[in-house]
Amino acid sequence: MSRGVEGEVRVFAEYERDFTEEADVVVVGSGPCGAVVAHELTAKGKRVVLLEEGPPFTPQEFELDGALSMSRTMREAGLRTTRGTIIPTMQAIALGGGSLVNSAICVRPPDFVFEGWEEHCEIEGTRRSDLDPHFDAVEAFLGIAPTPDDVQGQRNLLFRDGCNALGIESEPIARNVRGCRGSGECFTGCRARAKQSMDISYVPAAIKAGARVLTSVQVQEVLTDGRRATGVRGQVVEPFSGRRSHRFRIDAKAVVLAAGCMATPILLQKSGNLANGSGQVGRNLQFHPGLAVLGVFPDEVDPGFGATQGYQSLAFLREGYKLETLWAPAGILAVRFPGFGHDLKKRFAEVPYAANWDAIATCHRSLGTVRPRRGASLDPILTWHFDAEDAQVLGGALYQIARIFFAAGATTILPGVHGVADEMRSLEEADVLRTRRFAPSDFVTASNHAFCTTRMHGDPAKGVVDPLGRAHDMDGLFLVDTGIFPRCTSVNPMFTGMALAHRSAEALADQL
Amino acid sequence: MPSAWGLVAGLLTASLLGWAVWRVFGGYPQAKEPSLALTARELAFLVAVADATYPEGGPVPPSGTQAGIPAWADRYVASVPRTVGILMRLLFFLMEHATLFFAAPGRGGRRRFSSLSSEQQGAVLEDWRTSSWFPRRLVFSSLRAILTMGFFSDPVVLRALHLAAKQIESPVVEADLLYPAIGAHRSTIAYGPEDLVAPSGIPLAADAPLHPDHAEPTQ
Repeated sequence: MSRGVEGEVRVFAEYERDFTEEADVVVVGSGPCGAVVAHELTAKGKRVVLLEEGPPFTPQEFELDGALSMSRTMREAGLRTTRGTIIPTMQAIALGGGSLVNSAICVRPPDFVFEGWEEHCEIEGTRRSDLDPHFDAVEAFLGIAPTPDDVQGQRNLLFRDGCNALGIESEPIARNVRGCRGSGECFTGCRARAKQSMDISYVPAAIKAGARVLTSVQVQEVLTDGRRATGVRGQVVEPFSGRRSHRFRIDAKAVVLAAGCMATPILLQKSGNLANGSGQVGRNLQFHPGLAVLGVFPDEVDPGFGATQGYQSLAFLREGYKLETLWAPAGILAVRFPGFGHDLKKRFAEVPYAANWDAIATCHRSLGTVRPRRGASLDPILTWHFDAEDAQVLGGALYQIARIFFAAGATTILPGVHGVADEMRSLEEADVLRTRRFAPSDFVTASNHAFCTTRMHGDPAKGVVDPLGRAHDMDGLFLVDTGIFPRCTSVNPMFTGMALAHRSAEALADQL
Repeated sequence: MPSAWGLVAGLLTASLLGWAVWRVFGGYPQAKEPSLALTARELAFLVAVADATYPEGGPVPPSGTQAGIPAWADRYVASVPRTVGILMRLLFFLMEHATLFFAAPGRGGRRRFSSLSSEQQGAVLEDWRTSSWFPRRLVFSSLRAILTMGFFSDPVVLRALHLAAKQIESPVVEADLLYPAIGAHRSTIAYGPEDLVAPSGIPLAADAPLHPDHAEPTQ
């Protein structure tokens, strides 16, 4: 057994044989939650091994082409969908996890979200005020700040103008970014190195503090001794091909699973259905289904410039949705345009005059499950059902987006919903979005916000972990990703996950 | 000795089988260049459907094939996991042959998609797009998504829509001293602490030079 070299990262080319190492804590997953835990524990003097299945990406390896980028940075090439109601959902496979390819949005959920958590899942000590010190710590570390106007670009500022004209509260989105240049390339990797994704922020800091970071390693099993988690084992995997080779084992006093709300329950299920006395592992899957509307303005918007997501409105959170601006690689975004042939090309000609705004919905009634596939893969079988009442919320959200577009001066909107006109030229025409009874299948939604598959609950019979992420049924096992949310956050979840992970790290450090 | 009916039935079965084999495999042009993942038949379908979806001319002039959609799709299918690639190829197969069940209007409407006239191809696509049956709309959306992503991979298209990426010199940050290129050893890392540069934070100018992959080729 080797103690490994403290303060070092290891990459695929460097694995030459099977190996075993030991540490105080092994953290599985280098996304936002795992990276925070690895850093905080290392900074407190604990010996930490951080494991990541994906490779580290350098700017030279970022693909500008959205689809080809996804095929390299996402599990299942970014084409994962649920059964039941089909909803595309992505999970990154890279050092830094989703933070490498998300738009860096950091929003603290309002009080009522946490009050709902307490009420729904009988937990205590998880109000917004309890978490604010942890939000503050992460915010200070990452330099989270509102997006400045000079990199907003017109397509974001028009959202602000439309909201102002209607008296709807809006705000520049706070992001983990330092030195944004407005390239709008958050989803394919920030070539400006401005986004403080985990691979360039928390992970290097953890390495500097002494963490061992092993990339291109797939954890396949959590090891136990009676009621105690004692480590993990798995195999080295080649980047992109996923070909498995050398075996490894990490022995540790504590195991922290931060593999994401889809892979963490699968790891537990594949490890002999661990920590599942409640029967809740892999259940309660929730999403924030999202829908975008494209608006066309009379003057050029130059949508290629500006922060990927620069403005938002939290004014409708209690009604069940959040509004925000959104840009994406052109080829991905253009998928939203209706039709084909010369008509479609005419619409494409409007792209320089267009902005794209979206809504994400709180959908407590729409639930699903995560189940493992055969073999060693951590790719899940997902099932999810979009509740008709939840779907109705999206119609109202689209109507609000339409209002904001027309108030900002748009001449046309493309709602992208089945059963209504492909384009609408006035708010009167858009009224159907508010009044129509939509079926879930009328919407082609997507969501990369996923939660609740290993939910926290005050009652061990009803949940997998306590509010600190400690497994009810296992000693030395912590879960720290969005799977532990008792319900969705109604806002982008990364920041909440990191704050909870920060708190869990403190608890774990005290325990060791 | 087989009975006369048996002989007729055998001949009919053999004819049907022969026709099915021809429909699926026969009469396709040879591929001009070696492909990464797709067969000549699949590429022929992609040529047809790419040009039906993106005909030449209009405000964004390149046609689907001029924009390189078939070659892009070949590269894309080669880059995704095998099972996903199989699903994509099944999608191409389904659309090529679904005219058996959802025929195009006019004479010969049940021929495979790539053999239909351009008007018939347009009618088939419209039928799938506006179908009241969600799975058909989903199939159309999935196919069109692949074609659209391919269309937007063309620098000519991106430049026409002012969406070509700007040139950005990536500053060297601390992480660049830690990670090598994917597949390489850390000993290949070329940077040292003296190379570190803070991200500039200077907004990209509208007239900034384009990324070499998106810029107009120079003579």
